[in-house]
Amino acid sequence: MSGRALGFRDASLGYGERAVVTGASFAVAPGEFVGLVGPNGAGKSTLLRAITGNATVTAGDITWGDVSLVRMPERERARLVGVVPQTQAASFAFTARAYVEMGRHAHLGRLADPGPADSAIVDDVMARTDTARLADEAADELSGGDLQRLTLAQALAQQPRVLLLDEPTSHLDLNHALQVLELVRSLTDDGMAVLGVFHDLGLAARYADRISIVAGGGVTPPAPPAEALDAQVVSDVFGVRAVVRTDPVTGSVAVTPVVRGADLAPAVAGPAIGLVCGSGTGAGIMRQLALAGHPLYAGALNRGDVDQAVAEAVGAEIEPLPAFGQIGEAEAARVREGYGRCACVVVCPTPFGGANLPNLEAALSSGRPLVLVGGMDAGRDFTGGAARRLWEAALAGGAVRVDTEAEVTGAVERLIRMEA
Amino acid sequence: MTPVPGRSRTTAVITGLAVVLALAIIAGVGLGAVPISPAEVVGAVGRAIAGEGSALSDAVVMELRLPRVLLAALVGAALALAGVLYQALFRNPLADPYILGVSSGAGLGATLAMYALGSSYALRAIGVPAGAFVGAGLTMLLVVRLASRRGRIDPTSLLLAGMAVSYILSALTSFVLVFDRESMTSVVFWMMGGLQNRSWEHVGTLTAMLAIGSVVPALYHRELDLMLLGDERAGQLGVSVERFKMVVLASASLVVAGAVSVSGLIGFVGLMTPHMVRLALGPRHRLLLPASVLAGAIVLVVADLLARIVLAPVEIPVGIVTALAGGPFFLWILLRKERAR
Repeated sequence: MSGRALGFRDASLGYGERAVVTGASFAVAPGEFVGLVGPNGAGKSTLLRAITGNATVTAGDITWGDVSLVRMPERERARLVGVVPQTQAASFAFTARAYVEMGRHAHLGRLADPGPADSAIVDDVMARTDTARLADEAADELSGGDLQRLTLAQALAQQPRVLLLDEPTSHLDLNHALQVLELVRSLTDDGMAVLGVFHDLGLAARYADRISIVAGGGVTPPAPPAEALDAQVVSDVFGVRAVVRTDPVTGSVAVTPVVRGADLAPAVAGPAIGLVCGSGTGAGIMRQLALAGHPLYAGALNRGDVDQAVAEAVGAEIEPLPAFGQIGEAEAARVREGYGRCACVVVCPTPFGGANLPNLEAALSSGRPLVLVGGMDAGRDFTGGAARRLWEAALAGGAVRVDTEAEVTGAVERLIRMEA
Repeated sequence: MTPVPGRSRTTAVITGLAVVLALAIIAGVGLGAVPISPAEVVGAVGRAIAGEGSALSDAVVMELRLPRVLLAALVGAALALAGVLYQALFRNPLADPYILGVSSGAGLGATLAMYALGSSYALRAIGVPAGAFVGAGLTMLLVVRLASRRGRIDPTSLLLAGMAVSYILSALTSFVLVFDRESMTSVVFWMMGGLQNRSWEHVGTLTAMLAIGSVVPALYHRELDLMLLGDERAGQLGVSVERFKMVVLASASLVVAGAVSVSGLIGFVGLMTPHMVRLALGPRHRLLLPASVLAGAIVLVVADLLARIVLAPVEIPVGIVTALAGGPFFLWILLRKERAR
């Protein structure tokens, strides 16, 4: 038994004759949590629904070990596969406990009533899903979140070996979302195979062992989150320019959307806008300028810097540096040349130290008009006054100063018009 | 926490309803043109069972009143059972055999059978219920088909389709009757829903049909609970939904056919009774089913009693009494649902 896994075998799935997903081939082993992500309507839920016969398998098969789940009698399948649907309408006033107890149905004999063993299982799953206190309430009067956890309890009462989750946290507050996913995680540790549809890429990356992407009528083979999700995939699949990086707190992949690809204005013809940025000080400004359609050049940035990731997301050109690498003579020359090709250079409210000061020097020596954002107070200058001196030289040389990020695009576009 | 309190509550509720039903039957038998005291009613039944009844009042009880009252109880029970089944399968509190058109289908089937089989008593005894069953079953399939859109049954479409089909079938029944003027009056009375001149044979026929039709619901009460969560969820929790629907609809058609073939079209009992019982006792079918069956019996025994004594000696068809009470009830549920929306 332990060698069995949930398997999609070159399966095409859909409704009636119409296939929504074709050629799905992957397996979910006991103890494994596979996440499905993808845009709306791509067929994530269809994949789950096909397992329980609620969508049609038009070709191929879905199996548990060597046994087809598609042709398995409902009763037998319900002892093997538990489902938490996206929404569950609770009509008619069953008590919450009676609702959970319905999960025992497939285990009960025809004439048998639920016995003490069933009662113990119901108590246990209600305690684990934090729903025990709701036991006597009417299920149709509960909040969406309570009902969702109650439906999870109902599915767990089936004592399934495979658990299917269709956006299991869509109605849950943050606390309960994490609680439910931690619970599901602990179930996989006990050998349950879990296949879950996620909207939230971050939650998928954090809790799933492997992630499959459902898009364009196909499913990618499940891969570890860091491999499955990168900025290119997020842009291709969701049409969103995002920063994908390892979250320093959880250690899992975190996806931060920057702009929707569709929101970017058509590229403005003409020279790029230069930026002196770093440590996230340029993120908002790059987003703004990219939305307005300006090509961007962000100077030398270290790998791992937030601004480097944002620059990549919005398609800004940079001089890449290794993490913690210094700007050497060669890079400084290239940056000076790069800024020199720009219509103007925006100096973001970046703190300056020895490592990134060459960007500011290059901006000044490029001879292009400058836009300075904010002021140069002591909190920004870790160069012993070198940055401040460059700043004052720039102001003396006629640089435009703006107080806030919001004014940057306007200032840049005025400069471009004056140049023309 | 354990099933035990639920079981004792079930026992208490069922016992209570059974006692009320017994009292209603005694009252139904006792009240009439010649009042008979409860003691005499019980005595007459006792003597009949012992095989020694001879008094005139004993004959009135055993030959005239008791079969009729028992038949009222059985018809009420059958209609309420069908109502519970339809309401669970369609997840629609407004579903009942009359509104879904199934009663009219059974009526047309029964009328055609009567017309086709002539006056042979033996043929009619089997043929009329059989015709009613075929009519009820086909009508149900037709209405479900009409109300389905891409595999889903829209609640409003279901009711509209049921009513429209019901009108058409009633018209067809009347049309058939034009060719058989002699029996027209009695059949028209039968169509309005009446329990006059019924015999022990009718009691026997309906008892058998109700017993057969009760087997599936009694064994599969948990599946009926699960159906309330929706077809998809019921399937995920282990119900073979399509097969289950077919056997339940067949059972419901059978008991409706039984009720219609002995008493014609009696509306709203199947609607009101399960609804009231559900409000009072909750949606679990282990209790809802037997309680609704008993309550349906009580309702129709009382309605028939009213039909006989309100304008005595003139007798109103009992279907008129149930429609007068049930129509407003139907509107009440409808308006309550609208407001809740």
